[in-house]
Amino acid sequence: MNITRDDIMTIFPKVAETMASALACDKERVTLEASLIDDLGAESIDFLDIVFRLERAFKVKIPRGKILEEARGDLSESEFEKGGEVTEAGADRLKSFLSEVSPERFKAPLKVADIPRLFTVETFCKVVIRQQRAAVPAMSVQTS
Amino acid sequence: MRGAFLAYMDEHFRAFSFVDRITSLPTRSVIQGEYVVPADVQAFPASLVAEAVGQLAAWAAMAVTEFKRRPVAGLAERIELLAPVTPGQILELGATLDSVDDETVAYHGTAHADGTPVIRLQNCLGPMLALEEFDSPDMLRNRFALLCGPGAAPGAFQGLPRIEFERTPSDTGQRARASLRVPNSAAFFADHFPRHPVFPGSLLMDANLRLVASLAAEIPTPADSGAWRLGEVLDVKLRTFIPPGATLELDANLSERSNARALVSIVTRNGGKLVGSARAVLSTTKCE
Repeated sequence: MNITRDDIMTIFPKVAETMASALACDKERVTLEASLIDDLGAESIDFLDIVFRLERAFKVKIPRGKILEEARGDLSESEFEKGGEVTEAGADRLKSFLSEVSPERFKAPLKVADIPRLFTVETFCKVVIRQQRAAVPAMSVQTS
Repeated sequence: MRGAFLAYMDEHFRAFSFVDRITSLPTRSVIQGEYVVPADVQAFPASLVAEAVGQLAAWAAMAVTEFKRRPVAGLAERIELLAPVTPGQILELGATLDSVDDETVAYHGTAHADGTPVIRLQNCLGPMLALEEFDSPDMLRNRFALLCGPGAAPGAFQGLPRIEFERTPSDTGQRARASLRVPNSAAFFADHFPRHPVFPGSLLMDANLRLVASLAAEIPTPADSGAWRLGEVLDVKLRTFIPPGATLELDANLSERSNARALVSIVTRNGGKLVGSARAVLSTTKCE
């Protein structure tokens, strides 16, 4: 599923506004590259809040854990992680899936619990676009 | 030891429990109940009415997960404060779970007193956590059965200790700041929660709304208007548990104001760390 820069920039203003409200910060701080945890100070409750608000703002459903589930792709849980740490194959898959995250931010070993630290504003833009496309009926896709 | 255990037994389902009976549970996601506000308590603030609606929703959510998970306070997008509740009134509570799974519950709900709507909660979201870390699953199952059957005897709640805050110097009419010391021990900790005592988010909300009220009294009103009235609270967020004995810094800041409406931003910190936030909406009424 190809997501272009234009696709992202189309929804970014609304995503930025939504995140700024959820995190009670200035909209100017919400850049595409900003890490939600490290740059914007988000905590776990903020992730719930952001997902909840994005669902309402874009009228999409974002199942909890959607990012991780999609990141894992067809890797089984044991192929993706062992003892709470992401395997080499899992890390490769993550780097490919989270292509917006600069490579130096992927530490080794990477704990599964630390994966949300990688998420940027752009990560959530992509989640919204994927969910929007998933919600479009198959017939519309074929005829568009 | 036995004395401490008996004290715990005494306060569980008494000191901070605001559902006496579940009157209807037609589906797994719709629940109705009632609570008799004891006539001998001094007051029953709006934050406790909101707590009662939240507790009703929590019963439904716990039942869905077969008492393996329980919700804790998280977010409420909008709480409309429609009318005050007086001791002795019967609250008719209703809640609908918009979604529930092992991670999160989303719900909305209302409370009525004598047929009049007194509070409305919209778009609330609570993290679902392992129930056994907070309470005894068996005791909660038994309590749920009691509430769904004959109901609990009303009048167990004996009121709350007055949790006073101390105003600190700030900009009169623009900002109100205060320090609030959470008690080290109080009866409500035995009920909220027996295995993990934390300061209830609704009591933090109550303290914050009292601070907003004191700020509102300092904000000039337009010439043809009455006093500022607190009408709703928006974007309530509790980020972390507040332990007994914490010293909280409360901060209410007038962020917008027009003739008929004012918006107050509320933040709460514990040792400088943000633990909660909300926005309070004040409005004035025209003088006749």
